[in-house]
Amino acid sequence: MPALETLRGLRVVASPESLDVAAWDEGAVVLRFAPDDAFAIGAINIDVSDEHAIVAEETGFVGMWLSVSELAEQVLPHIEWPLPDARPALCQGFIAGVPAKLWVTDDRALLICACSYADELAERLQ
Amino acid sequence: MIEGRRIVLDGRPMAYEDGDSIAMAVLRAGEHPRHGGTLCLAGDCGNCVAAVDGVAYVRTCQTRARPGLVVRRHPAIGEPPLPVVENLSLTGPSPAARIRVQRADADLVVIGAGDSGSAAAANAERQERTVTILDARDGMEVVAIYAGPTIIVRTPGGMLHINAHEVVVATGAAELHPVCPGGSLIGLLTARAAQDLHAAGVDLGAAVAIGSAPSGVPCTPLPGRLLRIEGEQRVTGVVMTDEGSDGERTTACDTVIFGLGSSARDLLSRMSGDPAVTVVGPAAEAFPLPECPTTGTVCPCSRVSVEDLAGVWDRGFRELELVKRASLIGTGTCQGSVCLPYVRAFIADRAGAIPDPFTARPASRQITLAEAAAGVHVDAFRRTPLHDEHLVLGARMDRFGGWWRPWHYGDHVAEYWAVREAVSLGDVSTLGKLVVSGPDAVEFLERLYPAGVTDIRVGRSRYALLLNERGHLMDDGMICREAESRFVLTFTSAGAGHAEMWVRDWIETWGLRVHVLDRTMSLAAINVTGPLAGQLLERVGLSAQPRFLQHVHAEVAGVPCHVMRLSFTGEMSFELHHPVERSLELWRALMAHGHDLGIAPHGLQALQALRLEKGNVIVGMDSELDSTPRRLGMDWAVKMGKPDFVGRSALARTAQLPDDRRLVGLTMPGTAPIEGSPIWFEREVIGHVASSFSSPVLGHAVMFGWLKRAPFPEQVEVDGRSAVVVRPPFYDPEGLRARA
Repeated sequence: MPALETLRGLRVVASPESLDVAAWDEGAVVLRFAPDDAFAIGAINIDVSDEHAIVAEETGFVGMWLSVSELAEQVLPHIEWPLPDARPALCQGFIAGVPAKLWVTDDRALLICACSYADELAERLQ
Repeated sequence: MIEGRRIVLDGRPMAYEDGDSIAMAVLRAGEHPRHGGTLCLAGDCGNCVAAVDGVAYVRTCQTRARPGLVVRRHPAIGEPPLPVVENLSLTGPSPAARIRVQRADADLVVIGAGDSGSAAAANAERQERTVTILDARDGMEVVAIYAGPTIIVRTPGGMLHINAHEVVVATGAAELHPVCPGGSLIGLLTARAAQDLHAAGVDLGAAVAIGSAPSGVPCTPLPGRLLRIEGEQRVTGVVMTDEGSDGERTTACDTVIFGLGSSARDLLSRMSGDPAVTVVGPAAEAFPLPECPTTGTVCPCSRVSVEDLAGVWDRGFRELELVKRASLIGTGTCQGSVCLPYVRAFIADRAGAIPDPFTARPASRQITLAEAAAGVHVDAFRRTPLHDEHLVLGARMDRFGGWWRPWHYGDHVAEYWAVREAVSLGDVSTLGKLVVSGPDAVEFLERLYPAGVTDIRVGRSRYALLLNERGHLMDDGMICREAESRFVLTFTSAGAGHAEMWVRDWIETWGLRVHVLDRTMSLAAINVTGPLAGQLLERVGLSAQPRFLQHVHAEVAGVPCHVMRLSFTGEMSFELHHPVERSLELWRALMAHGHDLGIAPHGLQALQALRLEKGNVIVGMDSELDSTPRRLGMDWAVKMGKPDFVGRSALARTAQLPDDRRLVGLTMPGTAPIEGSPIWFEREVIGHVASSFSSPVLGHAVMFGWLKRAPFPEQVEVDGRSAVVVRPPFYDPEGLRARA
C-alpha cells in the first residue's frame, strides 16, 4: 500500500455560490468538504468573489492515491458504510475507526485524513 | 477406522470416522461429550458443549472432528475456567484484531437451507431477487440479527457482517427434551439424534422410545406416561405409568429415545424486531406446548428446576420476562431452546393463558469476546506533529482530550523550574483553533461570548468563557481580532470539537453571515514560556514582540507563525501557531537556540501545577457540569451590561439565588493532599479538592477546592490537616511576570 503523504493546497471557506463559480489553478483537485468549504489540492491561487472568504494554505491533511483494486482489497474491508454509486464522489466517515474521507473516481481513489490521525490510520490499515 | 485419525478428549486420543462431528466421535467411543443430558445433535441444546482448542462452550455436535483437535469437557459441576492470556500487550493489537471481518450488502438473506428456506429462496429468485442463503451446515452460522437488519455470521474464515434489505428466517424446528427426574443421565437422545447415530453405525444398545418412535431405529416403543428415568450416571431403565393408573412399569434399557414433539426454532426471528425480518416454515409454526412439567430440571443450562419455577411464581413473579429474570431460566447456553416451551407451559397452567416467548438477544450462540469485538475499533487518538520528538526526548505519553500528549519528560519538577526560572517549550498543538470571518462576525461573537468583543482592537486578544444557555461553563479560550470582521478563536484541547459544533450551530440558528474554518488539525502550536522566553524568541528572529494580550503574524526561525502573547503558566508566554509540517523544524530551532538559557520541554504534569499556582482554572477538571462564573469566582469575565449573550438570562436569574457553592483557593503547609480529597468542616464533608500541588516556589501546598455549604468557612480541614481559604492566584498576584 502506498504511504500517506502531505496534501498541499488551499482551503477556502466562502459562500456556496461563490465557491460554485470560483476559479482554481489548472490541475487542482477540488474537494467540496461542505457547501461552503473546499480543499483544492495542488492549488496556489484562487479567485473567489466572497470578500469575507477565509483562504488558507492547507497542509493539515495527508492522503494516498489508490488503484481500484487497492481500494477494494485494502480499504473497503475497513468501511462499514456503502460507497455512493456516482463518480466522482467524495465520501466521509470512519475508515478502520478513524475519521477519514475518500475521493473516488472511475479509475482511482484518494484516501484522506487529518495528519494527526495519519499514523493511527496507517497502522490500522496494515 | 484409520490409524492416526484421532481427536484428543481430556488428554486421551480418541478415534473418529470420516464425517463425524466431535460429539459423534465421543458417542461412538461410548462416552458423553458433557457429562449427561439429552442430546439433540442439532445444535439446539447445550448438552454437548465442551472446550475445543481452548475455546469453551463449543457445540461439539456442530463441529467437525479433525486430527489432533483438543477437546476438554467442561467440569461436571461449575463452569470452565476463564483462559489466562500470558504476556498480553496492552498497547498492541487486541486479540479481536486477529479475527478477520468481512462486510457485505445483500438484497435478500435466507437463513436456513432446509425445505422452507429453499422454497423461500426459490420464490424470491423467481421474483428476480438476489438471494444469499446462510446455513450453519455450510459453516455459515448466524449468531445475531440486529435492526437494520444486520446479520452477524460466524464463518470458518472469521466474522461476516451483512447489511440486508430483507431477511427470511427459515431455521426449522427443534425437538422437545424431556423434563423429569433422571433427565441428566447419559443415554438420552431425541428421535433425530437417534436416527443420526444409528445411520452412523453407533450401537445404541437396548433402546426404548417414548412418544413417537424414530423410523428405522431399532427400539421398543413404551406407551403411557413417563415418571422418571433411572440409573446412576448412565440410564439403566425408565419408569412409566398408564393414564388413570397408580401402577409403575420399569423397563430396563441402555438408551431412551424421545419423540415428544417440536418447538419453533425462532430465536433469530425474535432478536431484531425489524419489520424486514420475516420467519417461514416450521420456525413460524405455533407448535402445541408440552404438558406442564411437574418435577425435574426444566433448564439444564442454568439448572433451573420445576421447584425453582414454583418458588419464583410464589414470590410474585408471574410474567414470563419476570420469571426469566428471577430464575435465570433461558439465560444459559441454549438461550431457551430447551426450556422455553416448558416454562410457557408452566405459566399457562397457572395463569390460564399462554405467554408469548421471551425476548431474544444477541448472541444466539456462544462467541468469543474476540469474535464479538472483531471489526470494532478503539477510539483513535490524535498525535501532534511533535509526537515522535517527544518520545525521543523521553516523554511519557498519555491520552488527554482525544490526543496523545506528553505527561512529563522524566522529571516534572525540573520542568516546572525551567518554566519559572528559565525558558521552556510546551506542545499545545491540541488547542482548538477556529477562524471566523464575515460581516456579522462581531455581532455573532458578542451574542456567543459573555465577554465584550466589539472593543477588542485589531491585533489584541481577550480571554473569554464559553457558556451554555443555563449559564454553565462549557469551555474557555482566547478571542484574537485579526481584522474588523475576522477573528481567531481558541478553545481547550478536549472541548474544541464540541465548541466547533456549538459555534456552527449558533451561526445557523441566528442566520448570521459568518464563515468558520477549523484549523485545529492544520496548525500546530508551541508555547514558549518562562522569564527568558522573550530573549529566546529574539534570538530566532522575533525582535518586535507583542505585548501581553497582543498577537502578531511573524516569522520565527523562518517559520511563519501567529504569535499570541498570553500566559497560562504565570510567566511570560508566547504561543506560536504555525503549519503542522513546519512544527518539528520550529521546535528544534527553539531548543537549539535556548540551550544556554536552560531550555527544557515541559509536560502536562508541570503545566497543571504552574497554572494552579497562577490560579487558572482547567475546564472539566476544576469546573463541574453546572459551574457558573459566579461559582468559579470568574464574574470578572462576564459583561452583564451587554444586551444579550448565550447564558445571560440564566446568569441574571441565578444571581438572585443564594450563593451556596464556590470554587476557592486553599493553602496548607506540607505536601498537597491528593485531588478528590474531601474537605471537612466541623466534622462534616462540605466539598472536595479539585486540583492540588506542592508548590516548590511557595513552599506549601496550593489547591482549588469546592465548598458546597454556605456560609463558607475561612478555615477547613483536608487530609487531617488545617487548610486556609485564600483568594487565588497564589503566585504573582499582580501579574507582573506574565506582563514582563
